[in-house]
Amino acid sequence: MENSNSYSPYSSSSVDSTKPSPSESSVNLSLSLTFPSTSSQRETSQDWPPIKPRLRDTLKSLCLRQRRYNTALFVKVYMEGVPIGRKLDLSTFSGYESLLENLSHMFDTSVICGNRDRKHHVLTYQDKDGDWMMVGDIPWDMFLETVRRLKITRPERC
Amino acid sequence: MNYFPDEVIEHIFDFISSHKDRNSISLVSKSWHKIERCSRKSVFIGNCYAINPERLIQRFPSLRSLTLKGKPHFADFNLVPHEWGGFVHPWIVALAKARVELEELRLKRMVVSDESLELLSRSFASFKSLVLVSCEGFTTDGLASVAANCRHLRELDLQENEIDDHRGQWLNCFPESSTALTSLNFSCLKGETNLAALERLVARSPNLESLKVNRAVPLDALTRLMSCAPQLVDLGVGSYENEPDQESFMKLMAAIKKCTELRSLSGFSEVAPLCLTAFYPICQNLTSLNLSYAAEIQGNHLIRFIQFCKRLQRLWILDSIGDKGLEVVASTCKELQELRVFPSDLHDEEDNDTAVTEIGLVAISAGCPKLHSILYFCKQMTNAALITVAKNCPNFIRFRLCILEPNKPDHTTSQSLDEGFGAIVQACKGLRRLSLSGLLTDKVFLYIGMYAEQLEMLSIAFAGDTDKGMLYVLNGCKKMRKLEIRDSPFGNTALLADVDKYRTMRSLWMSSCEVTLGGCKRLARNAPWLNVEIINENENNDLMMERNEEDEREKVDRLYLYRTVVGARKDAPPCVTIL
Repeated sequence: MENSNSYSPYSSSSVDSTKPSPSESSVNLSLSLTFPSTSSQRETSQDWPPIKPRLRDTLKSLCLRQRRYNTALFVKVYMEGVPIGRKLDLSTFSGYESLLENLSHMFDTSVICGNRDRKHHVLTYQDKDGDWMMVGDIPWDMFLETVRRLKITRPERC
Repeated sequence: MNYFPDEVIEHIFDFISSHKDRNSISLVSKSWHKIERCSRKSVFIGNCYAINPERLIQRFPSLRSLTLKGKPHFADFNLVPHEWGGFVHPWIVALAKARVELEELRLKRMVVSDESLELLSRSFASFKSLVLVSCEGFTTDGLASVAANCRHLRELDLQENEIDDHRGQWLNCFPESSTALTSLNFSCLKGETNLAALERLVARSPNLESLKVNRAVPLDALTRLMSCAPQLVDLGVGSYENEPDQESFMKLMAAIKKCTELRSLSGFSEVAPLCLTAFYPICQNLTSLNLSYAAEIQGNHLIRFIQFCKRLQRLWILDSIGDKGLEVVASTCKELQELRVFPSDLHDEEDNDTAVTEIGLVAISAGCPKLHSILYFCKQMTNAALITVAKNCPNFIRFRLCILEPNKPDHTTSQSLDEGFGAIVQACKGLRRLSLSGLLTDKVFLYIGMYAEQLEMLSIAFAGDTDKGMLYVLNGCKKMRKLEIRDSPFGNTALLADVDKYRTMRSLWMSSCEVTLGGCKRLARNAPWLNVEIINENENNDLMMERNEEDEREKVDRLYLYRTVVGARKDAPPCVTIL
């Protein structure tokens, strides 16, 4: 149980209470803030606002879910050999399957993960290190964090 | 000298059920006192440490129904350590020992153990009703003993409790012969539910009027439950993340259509919007709607549903309904008496303009003539709005406003909200409960002391400038019973000014204020009929008491004082010192 004595409610400067500074507004995933020093952090300590535990838990878990799903993640998608690419919001997909389905639809062809073969287009991606990798090897959540752009390779010619 | 024989007087007293009235009756004469206490069936004890069970039983030998409250209100907001106290066990032990024929037990913010529940279930043959609100300390094993042993159980109502769910078969423990259930609420249980046992139980309970299930009851199970209980008046729904398929949805709607007596709806945590629409057929019959956990349902869905609920008297909702939504409520729900609007976004990240503001509050006050109770969380408020609300609704009994940012002024004038709240207390002559927020000076307390003549409970947070503020309240509000203050600059002067005032109050809570250890000690010395409790979670209190006089100037973290006739309690944990 934290006692937030560091917040002084008596100062008249509280009239122009501050919005969080840019560094503070970056995503802070620790929801149980225990050292409130700015007014916005003060608002979200365990004892303020005065709501009951069940509602607090409901809102916390909702917030976590929304954080994960609300950030749009647009990446460029190129079909090998086609100069004009498309843009796709990866956050709308639940996993590799739905991504492949959508790409297959978008490019009107069959797109898969896995080894290059004669018939299918294989999906690859460029990660945050700049390397081109095969899509599908890592968990979806991890993929979302590292993917920068997508490329659909042409089937092998004989 | 009584004109009538005792039995006649007792019969007349039978018609008087209000606790206040019965307490008044008992003060008329010795003879009335005796008749009253021997015939009293129902007793309400607002603070379980104000009296002990032995004295209770001695005075009221015919006791059938007992209501007990334990932890102070701010325990709901994590301001009171879990181990603080409020144990029901000694009460049950004493009642069992005295062979009281207990039928009803209602507990709020108390610690209940499985042992207590087991003892309860075995000691009172005619036990009918158990209501536990915001309690903790027990598991589903305790519920199993109640289910198994209370042969005449009619009501088992668990609201917002912390229950350790052992995923056992407590529902199975209701014997086949148990058919008397009228109310079953286990919405706060977090674990799996034995659906088959639940369905059998509901099927053999023709008098079941209130059923509130927990999240683990899926849609098809709910459909079956409603089909065998079309007499339901009050329903609490589980949680359904995915939109139901067409067939399940149609079946659900068909079952709902048959529930023509349904008047009250709640639950809906993690619910896809479509599930709400299944209730369209009966929404015009609803008098009570609680969607305060439906964080996933967006404002427009809520509005579409509520616009048909013309008979609503009670509405609990999230602020995602927005001002527009409240305007719809104002034009639709002309019977509305109680409104609660809870915050849906604690982190202010959305930066959204869709949450409610003073505009929604004014709209409600203008549109709902019967409104008497409101709890409103919002991001901003103005004096002008509050003044308008006061003019529109002079009938408020409960007015609780929580502006999310502490110390926030009127956003159009940058002034304090003293005038706004002042207007509320001046207009609402029957106001019994008030919660303040926003930027407030001593002036608001001057107004409260002057005008709030019926005020019984006042909650203060981040308000006031000097001790004068608190003094205005203590001197002016003659009917004050519960005063709870946090993070406000009130100190020893206010605390000690009128010690006898605390004889007329149930309790006082002060946390993160300016009162010192010395002040509290002085108070305790002058008022031996008070328990003055200091709660310091971060220290060993033995150490604290050994310190020398200089530390009397040390500020007290949390102070909780209450009148009592039984002296200091013996069950206080180490973090609590009773002076």
